[in-house]
Amino acid sequence: MNNTTPIKNYKLELSAAPHIHSKWSTKKAMWLVILSLVPVLISSIIFFGLKQLSIISVSVAFCLLTELTIKKLRKKEVTLDDGSAIITGLLLAFILPPNFSLFATAIGAIFSIGIAKELFGGLGFNIFNPALAGRAFLQAAYPVSITTWTKPNYDVDTITSATPLAAYKFDKISTDLSSLFWGNVSGSLGETSALAILIGGLFLIFIGVVNYRIPLAMILSLIFFSAIFWIIDPFKYQNPIFHLLAGGFLFGTFFMATDWVTSPITSKGMWIYGILISFLIVLIRNFGGLPEGVMYAILIMNSLVPAINRFTVPKIFGEKK
Amino acid sequence: MNKKSYSYEFVKGIWEINPIFKQILGMCPTLAVTVSVINGIAMALATTFVLVFSSFLISLIRKLIPNQVRIAAYIIIIASFVTITDLVMKAKFPEMSKSLGPFIPLIVVNCIILGRAEAFASKNNILKSLLDALGNGLGFLIGLILISSIRELLGSSSILGFKVLPNSFDPLIVMILPAGAFITFGLLMGFFNSLSLRKKESEKEKLIKKYSDKLIKSSNELVEN
Amino acid sequence: MKKIIHIISTLTLIGVVIGAILSFVNNWATPLIELNKKKETEKAVYLVNPLGKKNEKVKANGEIFKVFDEADNLLGYSFVCEGNGFQGKIRIMVGVDKNLEKIISYEVLEQSETPGLGTKILDDPFKKQFNNLFAIPRIEWIKGKAPSKPNEVQTITGATISSVALVNIINSGLENMRKLKEKNLL
Repeated sequence: MNNTTPIKNYKLELSAAPHIHSKWSTKKAMWLVILSLVPVLISSIIFFGLKQLSIISVSVAFCLLTELTIKKLRKKEVTLDDGSAIITGLLLAFILPPNFSLFATAIGAIFSIGIAKELFGGLGFNIFNPALAGRAFLQAAYPVSITTWTKPNYDVDTITSATPLAAYKFDKISTDLSSLFWGNVSGSLGETSALAILIGGLFLIFIGVVNYRIPLAMILSLIFFSAIFWIIDPFKYQNPIFHLLAGGFLFGTFFMATDWVTSPITSKGMWIYGILISFLIVLIRNFGGLPEGVMYAILIMNSLVPAINRFTVPKIFGEKK
Repeated sequence: MNKKSYSYEFVKGIWEINPIFKQILGMCPTLAVTVSVINGIAMALATTFVLVFSSFLISLIRKLIPNQVRIAAYIIIIASFVTITDLVMKAKFPEMSKSLGPFIPLIVVNCIILGRAEAFASKNNILKSLLDALGNGLGFLIGLILISSIRELLGSSSILGFKVLPNSFDPLIVMILPAGAFITFGLLMGFFNSLSLRKKESEKEKLIKKYSDKLIKSSNELVEN
Repeated sequence: MKKIIHIISTLTLIGVVIGAILSFVNNWATPLIELNKKKETEKAVYLVNPLGKKNEKVKANGEIFKVFDEADNLLGYSFVCEGNGFQGKIRIMVGVDKNLEKIISYEVLEQSETPGLGTKILDDPFKKQFNNLFAIPRIEWIKGKAPSKPNEVQTITGATISSVALVNIINSGLENMRKLKEKNLL
């Protein structure tokens, strides 16, 4: 009777059966995500100047510092080298407006790691995407400065201009699609250039760190839902391609919604999750008080992920209907 | 432990059974009115007034009230004291009554009052009930002052209306929104829970050490013998 | 049976005693509360019509007050109107001249706008724009530019919805006032 394998050789799997071991360790995948953010980093520097590096470095530094402090306080093993805190710091900086106050950036970083991640139990236990939760906190804390957008390609940081989405929502001024694609528009640091995001995002999908289902579901359903409204009233509602390229949609699609921890683990669940996010985005953008809804849409769906996982567990092979 | 002193009945409300952090009662005013310290104090005083008088009255007639209708009787008593408070505040402190809004009438359903009436005043004599009510009221006051001073400091960079933080500090508007109340309350509660957990843990360790020392000593004696 | 009588008699006793106390307090408090309310409304009435010395409530629906100077000459009207803001209801008191052509001032009575952003409708410089603002045929708003017409105001940067909501509330309130005037109800 001694032929049982010792329990310690099993690893806890975070997905429904059947299981195949991924070739990625968490650590390696995290560093690949950081690598994929390099094009976005370059685009943000090109359009908003080298000065923005200060926001990015403050955000990353405070994320690391908060993680270190809390791990020490809770007397847990310090795992800064897994890169997750760096990713949160980078993502948070990329969804903040250019020339945002460094003090507020630090507060956002502390909230992201301290409350949204570590208070829930650390990496793998957080319900909400830490960077988005930090951004939502800053949105509530500093509603004025977080909606003050600097015009790109200007040396003076006092020239503000509305984001393409806000410009259309409140003044019916549309932005041409090519500048939306290259990124020469006002917006958060990392969200303006569709090209840079696509390079990084497709790289992640190509090497297999990110599953293609969520981005595909989000893009297709965004086009679908926004097309419905566009056909009903092409003047009041913008066309699907504009919705796709403007605001934080692509950045949210590739780097936020696909977060391993806060997205569903079943294939069917991923489709449902992606479609519902896009539905909420179209709803908020077209009918909400705010011009942009990617952040809230993803956060709302984050909270539904456990339910989605529960209802989409694949049937056991041979199980009757 | 069975004979508790009168001073204990008063002191326990401050920490041991603090209505906010230990009993987790009266959450509605705790979260809603703690935007500024002055609101917090006014709310706590109004609640304490109702708490003391209803505890006194309920304890006075506790043997009179039939068991089946005791909750109904308590609610009548509590509601009338709340109405009195509401009327007096509207007549004498209209500004304060306006800023506390519907939360004064809502003291009727504040669980601290019914909770203390049911758990304590209906079973203990008048003096004890009064001390218990005052202690709970004081605990409530301390809790509200704590939460509201954090929220006012960070949300409006002032305390009791006086500017405390320099202008360079950009106030966190979220702290005067409902979300700020939940965050502040949650963090404070976590902090106090970890404090009492740590205390319990160290007491346990002391106890273990005491007995293990004894054990080692006696076993050593055994070996020597 | 004895129990039921006991229950009923106890509850009645409590009710009677409590009721007596309550009625006593109520009698004492009611006049004071009414005085406070009157003071508050009057304060708002004169705040938006600062030259006024006397006022009279108009009998038409809603809270409308005629404002007179010391010699009983009609100066204008102060009226309450409300509508939806960014997050909730905005309730304001507006002061207009007697021909309903010029806004004298307004005062926000209730609001739940975003602190620091939408709440700028409570303060100058936005509020100042409404002092002696022409409202014929209606107030118009402009974004990002200084107003060029006498009936134009500039919206608050970042709080367009709240500022436009305020303008709309005043416009619809004025419209209502003009209708009442046509019917000689003022």
